[in-house]
Amino acid sequence: MYYFAELVINGALTGLMYSLVALGFVLIYKSSGVPNLAAGAVVMVGAYAVWLLTSYGLPLYFSIPLSAAIMFVLGLLTERLLLRRMVGQPIIMVVMLTLGLEIFLRGLGPGLLGAAPKPLNLGIGLSPMIVGDIFINRAYFVGGIVALLMIGSALLFFRTRLGTKLRAVSDDHVSSWAVGISVERAIGVSWGLAGIAAVAAGVLWGSVQGVDWTLSMLLFPAVAVVILGGIDSIWGVLIGGLIVGMLGSIIPGYVDQIVGGGTRDVVTSLIILITIMIRPYGIFGREDIERI
Amino acid sequence: MNSLKRGLLAAVVVAGLGTAGGALAQEEPIRFGLLQDFTAVYTFVSGEYNQGQRDYLTLVNEEGGLDGIMIEAIVRDHGNEPQRGIEAYNRAKEEGAVLFDFFSTPVSRALVDSVLEDEVVLITALHGRGDASNGEVFPYVFPMMATYWSQATVLANHIAEHEDGLEGKKIALVHIDSPFGREPLPVLEALAEQEGFELRNFPYPSPGNEQSATWTEVRHYRPDHVFIWGAGGGQPVSVREAIRNGISPGDIYSVVWLAETDAENVGADTMTGVKRFEATASGTDTPILQRIQEKVIDAGLGSGDAENVGTSYYNIGVASMAVAVEAARLALEAEGAPLTGPKLKAGFEMISDFDAEGLMPPITITARDHQGGGAGRVSQWNGERWEPVSDWTAAYQDVVQREIDEGAEAFLQGN
Repeated sequence: MYYFAELVINGALTGLMYSLVALGFVLIYKSSGVPNLAAGAVVMVGAYAVWLLTSYGLPLYFSIPLSAAIMFVLGLLTERLLLRRMVGQPIIMVVMLTLGLEIFLRGLGPGLLGAAPKPLNLGIGLSPMIVGDIFINRAYFVGGIVALLMIGSALLFFRTRLGTKLRAVSDDHVSSWAVGISVERAIGVSWGLAGIAAVAAGVLWGSVQGVDWTLSMLLFPAVAVVILGGIDSIWGVLIGGLIVGMLGSIIPGYVDQIVGGGTRDVVTSLIILITIMIRPYGIFGREDIERI
Repeated sequence: MNSLKRGLLAAVVVAGLGTAGGALAQEEPIRFGLLQDFTAVYTFVSGEYNQGQRDYLTLVNEEGGLDGIMIEAIVRDHGNEPQRGIEAYNRAKEEGAVLFDFFSTPVSRALVDSVLEDEVVLITALHGRGDASNGEVFPYVFPMMATYWSQATVLANHIAEHEDGLEGKKIALVHIDSPFGREPLPVLEALAEQEGFELRNFPYPSPGNEQSATWTEVRHYRPDHVFIWGAGGGQPVSVREAIRNGISPGDIYSVVWLAETDAENVGADTMTGVKRFEATASGTDTPILQRIQEKVIDAGLGSGDAENVGTSYYNIGVASMAVAVEAARLALEAEGAPLTGPKLKAGFEMISDFDAEGLMPPITITARDHQGGGAGRVSQWNGERWEPVSDWTAAYQDVVQREIDEGAEAFLQGN
């Protein structure tokens, strides 16, 4: 029983950390309808930014917000210099653009800063939090709390004036233009906010594994989270993350020892496939019905 | 300088040509194809490893080359993709390379048939197929250092000698779920049966950035010792998770891919006590490293960040080229210039008790044994650096040899 509970709790916390990666993905999709396949690489860049600043001697508490500001600006620039040029192009080409950006960033980061994993010490102790016979991963616990705070902030943000504009943009670009909302600026802001979420995800995952190109591979579980939760839903990020994390922990925890391992990626893949087949808009996603 | 710039922009690097080569400039240099992965999976090691290789070749050239013949390194990136590796191999072969180092298991595997047919030498130090140690089946492939099978046996032997034997012990093999991660399994299973210990393997998905569920399982298994078999970012995660789950650092044993950068990621103090297999000495105390420092680094001829000199992966690169250059020297002595693939192969098979001036265990390569004996040692992180806790030794080579022969036989059968 303790074993099961530990798998559930640590899985849920891991899932919340996946949610942080997924949050940036949803923020961009929600405003612009673009599935950003560079989300993993952006997380990697966010982590590199924090590491770089700390390596110049800046304290961590200063490096993180400064990196968030830098990533916000980079997000704005990405929208302005890349995405805006794609207006009117087929969506598949926009998706390919983000894929190209992913490959570019994945090569550029290690290329400029060296490929060896970089340390990012948040000062979180290695000793687990022990409840009964359950060992709770302290780093994931902190990560889970940060994820909840970020997701909560995103939910609150969409109730603000700027957030309301973003919601309007996500509903209908043309109508938003008609009432005087700058759709381009709104989409740019969503890219900027995704950059901030990427810093949070990058710092937390970077502290667990070190900062290197493999952070970009967090895209895969993040995609599972957004597909399950709903690609345009902040609530979906939360619930999807919890489910993906828990299933990815519980099932391998029992099945790996029988089949010899390797089931977690299978679980993640099945979540994607089954969700698309039976509920393509996810648990909380909006089902758009179009007249053909 | 970073690895991408070195790999992509400096497509062909001439190592240290210049000062010493003047008198014999008419000689064709010996060309080594260091075609490696600077941009994908092996990036955690390839930068430092390649830097060590090139700095060593620069040292050799600065010291006059091989009887005046310079050695040139052809450096290209294949991104761990067999197709790009094949293309790079063909180009380098056209340019006259007689030795290749792909430092990538998939690329090395994809090109084994080609090197056998083209009769050029392929070195596969600490990667590639273990059964290539059988020189009769793989005459042009040279692992040169302990294969993963031999590494597993050296680690097991350390437990046998220093931890009251293996019998009755429970050993967990926690590995990345890939052919590399599963590589030590057959040898450890055979050893478990022979020595009477219990073995269970715990795979985690690639790239290993999240292993918490795996380590919950490991903790419930209550092993006496844990072998971690991964590389890159997955290794510090394994060490952290092991410690989080109450496993003493002293009971953690790693494959060769655990380096100073990993200790920095885990926390230098936290990792104190963790042991690993060591193929070469780390640090700069050995004569070759001191000469590199003096004649290459201090002279401004280094090929990368001077801080990397003496790190584990840098020194492995140095040792790999030290063996290759020794083979070339023996080949030229025995058969004269120009150096060809078959001559170089013969040179490798003449290597006897060569230890690169104390940098590595003494190796003897024969026509049958291309591994060179399979020796290594165990070192322990002491909070600041890796400290040897055993002598250079090979262990249970009968078990390893059985595996080599079975694999080689399967290769002959076309499997």
